[in-house]
Amino acid sequence: MVISRRGVLFGSAGALGAASFSFPAPAIAGSEPIRIGCLAAITGPASAPTQGFNRGVNFAVDAINGAGGVKGRKIELVMRDTQGDPSKAVNATQELISQQKVHAIWGPLNSGEALATTPIMARAKIPNIHPCVVETLIDTSKFPNAFRMAPSNSQWDDAVRNYCLNILKVRKLAVIGDTTGYGVTAVGASVAAFKKDGAEVVYQANIDATQPDMTPDMLRMKNAGTEAIVVWTVSTGMEALMFNVRAAMNWDVPFVGHPSLSSGEIAGLVEKPENWKKVYAIGYKSCSYDGSGKLPPRSEELVARLTKGNIALNDTLLWWVAGGIDVIELFAKAIEVSGSTDAQGIIAHLNTLNKYPGYFGDYTFTPAQHNGYPTDEVVMSEASTAKNGTFALAPGYS
Amino acid sequence: MLASIIAAGLASGAIYALVGVTYNTMFSTSRVMSFTAGQLAMLGGVFGSMFTLKLGMPVVAGFLLTLVCCAIIGIITEFIAVRPVLKSLDQHLYVLSTLAVALMIQQVAAIKWGTEPQPFPRLIGLGSGIWDEKFWLPVVACALTILGLEYLYRRTLVGRAFLAIAEDNFAARALGLPERNLRIASYALAGIIGGIAGFSGGELLLAFFANGALLNFYGFVPVALGGLGNNRGAIVGGLALGLFQQAANFLVGGIFSSVAVFTLFIVVLLAAPQGLFGGASARRV
Repeated sequence: MVISRRGVLFGSAGALGAASFSFPAPAIAGSEPIRIGCLAAITGPASAPTQGFNRGVNFAVDAINGAGGVKGRKIELVMRDTQGDPSKAVNATQELISQQKVHAIWGPLNSGEALATTPIMARAKIPNIHPCVVETLIDTSKFPNAFRMAPSNSQWDDAVRNYCLNILKVRKLAVIGDTTGYGVTAVGASVAAFKKDGAEVVYQANIDATQPDMTPDMLRMKNAGTEAIVVWTVSTGMEALMFNVRAAMNWDVPFVGHPSLSSGEIAGLVEKPENWKKVYAIGYKSCSYDGSGKLPPRSEELVARLTKGNIALNDTLLWWVAGGIDVIELFAKAIEVSGSTDAQGIIAHLNTLNKYPGYFGDYTFTPAQHNGYPTDEVVMSEASTAKNGTFALAPGYS
Repeated sequence: MLASIIAAGLASGAIYALVGVTYNTMFSTSRVMSFTAGQLAMLGGVFGSMFTLKLGMPVVAGFLLTLVCCAIIGIITEFIAVRPVLKSLDQHLYVLSTLAVALMIQQVAAIKWGTEPQPFPRLIGLGSGIWDEKFWLPVVACALTILGLEYLYRRTLVGRAFLAIAEDNFAARALGLPERNLRIASYALAGIIGGIAGFSGGELLLAFFANGALLNFYGFVPVALGGLGNNRGAIVGGLALGLFQQAANFLVGGIFSSVAVFTLFIVVLLAAPQGLFGGASARRV
């Protein structure tokens, strides 16, 4: 074969022409994994909720991936340990968004971190679901991408007030908290709401949680005619000391309030187990068992699934595990319905949910309301009745 | 109410007094106010709970091990936070170095022990109500510690050497006293006293990492009130502080009791800057 100059020129031109045509791109977007970023305090003092939530998150991811994924796409978790530190949470958020290119973010799991990360996620318009209680974290005009799947502080407050005024039928209340920012804010809001509802707040105080003797405050509460003590603190030491003083005073006033009243650590801090009776902590219908020891049917089914999957519940709370499952399923459903991992599509779908049946609760979101958890699902539990992460419903609920 | 004020006030006052003595013991041989005193007391409660409750040791063994651990922490403090800054005492670098060690102790305790208060076992099981052992045990521990220190300082050679170092460091060294070893021993002794404070007050304060900062603060008040280096002043100041604080808790309550305590503290210092029991120091000119 003779190689002519013309032939070489034509051949080269042809090769160049062919190279300039783009080959059809492989359908990467359709098969690439769905990347969900998780901001969680895996280590450090605030890691207990993470352990529970992570069991649910991993369980849900395994279940969805085991069933073939979301329209064939597997879910991939990108977990970052924030250690409960807002600055670490900020760095992790920026990394998840700009380097890891996640499609949605779950967490962080405490309000201090969320206050720092929520504006960053809003700027990046990344879909975000979190369980943090501070009211200002949900604002659909400032943070249209942020959704809350657990109750807010005011929902807790509503449930406590409802229990005191309508079920215990007490009118004279003492409202106390610790001296942290949370304690001061929560006591102020709670007192205002009780007064608005016509109740008489006979004693209001912020007590130093390290105060070794709670007798002075308890005595003042008793002398003021208190019929129920509402507690807003996370300090289990302070709570246990008050239970012990109540017993020493032979006073049978009920304590009602923050979920920490049911913390397992209190068992070791009370002088006698009966000192922890007549204490009602915030809980959830879905995770409370009735007089016959039965959970609601959907929760019974969940516990059966978790037991089959060897997920331990004896050292955590069921609502953490259930909430973790719900979050992954909410994201998965949003991607399935919207047909892509496009952020606007996920957010738009979440905004249409009306009583979406999760394990933890029925979630409702609208474009103007991102507090998704129903207030009527927030109930009081008997604080000392923990059983596999669930509690007995407090007396008075039908 | 009065009985409750006296019982709880004397108990917390005795703990503050012991922390004050811890400050003084470290100060006497080094001229350094080591802000690890409260943390040593906190560790007394934490180690005590760990050995007796978590590891299930007998109370006596747990108590002795607690004291050994606190003594070691005291010695470590001397090595890493005090010795390097002794040459520049006038620059007060010890404030920074001892505070840094105190923060490290607190953070490690928070991470390893947890941020929630942990139970402390009943040590003897005697008494109830205002006669509960959690109230009288710190008072008894304080009294025995003072007796022990008096014996050490007045009847033993080592104790007299401590006093000599505290009185005049240079003269003591000129006499051939091993100043460095005595300083290490005094930090170990301070660790033991802090450990006794935390262990005897464990039932009252629980085993809680945050007690360190609280005791650092309230333990410093009797030192300032009683005069720096004056153990008797620290004891009287500590007990008075405890009683006043508890009375304020009953009368005004909550955060206002702390305000009352520090208002009185400032008033006393304005009236007697050298402390109620401290003499005005002579300055060579």
